Amino acid sequence: MSGERWPEWARRAAMAPGAFYALILLSLVFGVFTAQFLTLHNLANVGIQASVLIIVALGMTLIILSEGIDLSLGTVLGLASVVLALCVKQQMMLGVGILLAILVGVAFGAINGTLITRLGLPPFVVTLGSLGMAQGLSLILTKGRSIPGLGPRVQYFNDGWVAGIPVPVVMAAATFLVVYVILYHTKFGTYVFALGGNEEALALAGVRTRLYKTGVYVLGGALAGVGALVMTGRMNCAHPDVGVGLEFDAIAAVILGGTSFERGKGWLVGTLIGVAAVSVLRNGLNLIGLSSTWQMSTVGAVIILAIVVDALRGI
Amino acid sequence: MAETLVLQLEGISKQFPGVKALDDVSFDLRRGEVHALVGENGAGKSTLIKVLAGAHRLDAGRIVIERQPVVIDNPAQALALGVSVIYQEFNLVPYLSVAQNIFLGREPRHRRIPGLIDHARMNAESQRLLDSLGVDLNPRAVVQYLGVAQQQMVEVAKALSLNAQIVVMDEPTAALTTREIEQLFAAIRRLTARGVGVIYISHRLEEVFEVGHRVTILRDGRRVDTLGIQDATMDRLIEAMVGRTIDRMFPRDFAAEKGEVALAVHNLHRNGVLSDINLTVRCGEIVGLAGLVGSGRTELARVIFGADPYDAGEVKIFGRTVRGSPAKCVALGVGFLPEDRKREGLALILPLRENVVMASLRRLFPSGIIRRAKEREVVTDFVKSLDIATPSINRLTKFLSGGTQQKVVLAKWLCTQSRFLIFDEPTRGIDVGAKAEIHQLMNELVKRGAAILMISSELPEVLNISDRIYVMHEGRIAKELAREEATQEAILRYAMGGVK
Repeated sequence: MSGERWPEWARRAAMAPGAFYALILLSLVFGVFTAQFLTLHNLANVGIQASVLIIVALGMTLIILSEGIDLSLGTVLGLASVVLALCVKQQMMLGVGILLAILVGVAFGAINGTLITRLGLPPFVVTLGSLGMAQGLSLILTKGRSIPGLGPRVQYFNDGWVAGIPVPVVMAAATFLVVYVILYHTKFGTYVFALGGNEEALALAGVRTRLYKTGVYVLGGALAGVGALVMTGRMNCAHPDVGVGLEFDAIAAVILGGTSFERGKGWLVGTLIGVAAVSVLRNGLNLIGLSSTWQMSTVGAVIILAIVVDALRGI
Repeated sequence: MAETLVLQLEGISKQFPGVKALDDVSFDLRRGEVHALVGENGAGKSTLIKVLAGAHRLDAGRIVIERQPVVIDNPAQALALGVSVIYQEFNLVPYLSVAQNIFLGREPRHRRIPGLIDHARMNAESQRLLDSLGVDLNPRAVVQYLGVAQQQMVEVAKALSLNAQIVVMDEPTAALTTREIEQLFAAIRRLTARGVGVIYISHRLEEVFEVGHRVTILRDGRRVDTLGIQDATMDRLIEAMVGRTIDRMFPRDFAAEKGEVALAVHNLHRNGVLSDINLTVRCGEIVGLAGLVGSGRTELARVIFGADPYDAGEVKIFGRTVRGSPAKCVALGVGFLPEDRKREGLALILPLRENVVMASLRRLFPSGIIRRAKEREVVTDFVKSLDIATPSINRLTKFLSGGTQQKVVLAKWLCTQSRFLIFDEPTRGIDVGAKAEIHQLMNELVKRGAAILMISSELPEVLNISDRIYVMHEGRIAKELAREEATQEAILRYAMGGVK
């Protein structure tokens, strides 16, 4: 009967408050202990910096919902960034560079998805291999060096404004809307839940499960390509290491947001909350002056803490 | 009458390695009819359904649907032919809504925006379907948060929306309350009123009388009889279900001395699973635990072994109260031989030698260092005394036959010096010759003072080697039978709840 007493949004909200409370708590702590945290400038900065993570984490949410994982999204984003920079340096049209950057993501997604569905290989192993391949390709293409000075057209992806809103925020919001419609209003989205929840039931319904599962990885890869645009614009350069570790933050945000590795349980808004929590944590730790090496272990500890709390509360 | 037949199964045979699961079985189903399928565990009901559902290929015979001979190679084809099977484990997606589950794979398209699903139409049509079944359920509710009965109604609605002409229900009432069963029956009557034929499998014969029009009895993979419900009585059904031949069984020696009480269970209760269980097992006897699948036998064994908790009552093993700890049970001398010995009883990729000693390492090698010479000596002794057929003690366990594997599990527990052994389906999947050997070993064990509690679905086995028999029905001990008063009919009668 509990299935009917609560409206859907309330039940969804009740599923993932771990990240929500963590976010509020972190904001309070940083607000009290640092003068800069609760300034408009800093919060806007957090929003701009979070936009890459949002774009990647949205794709990761769908992958995890389908009971998969993609460890390669970070380094694929790095490779896409390198490809974009090379195109710019070759004086190609910017559109070609953008297209190729996104195609890098699509190609890796297609390869990952195909290996996982056709050969039945575990996503963890396949995408671990892709992680290495994408990173290696970035190093080969750049000979291990940065490609700096890409110019204002690329910087626009980070510094530009549309109707008074920063371009990266607009891109993150647009991505969220598109993924939201895909997840909740299309067959593809329905099947993402079904892939994770009961793949056999989906197959019995006559759905080509392998096609849709591959599609999930392709979408995730394409979004990594989109994320690369903003990332490259922010740095005004392409560095082969730029995406390393990004998959860690993305997976952390998805899990903090209440999406589970089991049975297709999760929601998209939770990922936004999760990204906000991770971004606030990193920003606050920066303000306190904690080195990035310490940040990683702190974020890791927060993930484990959030999962433990959720498990104890029976969520 | 022929034109009202929606399904004919003609001369269906299905062979599994070592077993003839179905032998020339014929079965038909009329429009708007509930045709019940009954039989003991292993009589062939599930296999017949799986053949119809496309999960098993038939070896011989013919399937005719709507007077067209058909070939069903996979579940999708069965669905396309209008066959919907509602299994005990539902085929639902937990975190989708009722409507999304009903229309999975056939989502209505949005009229104006291409590529989108028309949720409004899907919810409205689901509501209509649910209303027509008389089910009070919100199509937007998420399936995960529904009760078992409601989830089942979603399955029924799904079958209806698929335009199924044949709906198979496998033990649909197993987890339902009395009121929910009434609602299910009401829904079944609405299905049949629409001309849908329902194949109804249940262990509960009283339900068969309430909802069925005809009943077919299977035994040992053969069809015994098909009766109109007005011609069927409880006695007649039970009589038709039993009558397995008892052949090539090991003759047990019942002379063993009864010794100390190995297991004493008092008023044991586990919410929703077991109630009011009292039983004892003494050294020197084999106690059989009979009952249908789902009657709580394995659940009871798990509670006794400490693998599951209990809510009230007491479990005493060799006079000591134990609760929720298999490790403690093992220390007290209990050994558990699980039904699924490949997964729960053995490490298949390890050699026989390591499987035998794995639970006794601390006893055999208190220093913590495994001495191969001693291990070889211990294992070789067991190979000899249990007559384990293996070319070498280094043979990987997965290459051994079923009967030999069971002996390895037994050796493992004997190696820990177990004196009370729980056998769950000791001879399932074991060929006839090896069966007799296992029975002989059990006989020897009790003669030497061990106590055995044996769960078995094979009535001949239960009758042949048990000193006493407890019959379980719906989580309770329905009856304790002495060896002299036990017959197949008596056991089945109590197991089916036929005696109040």
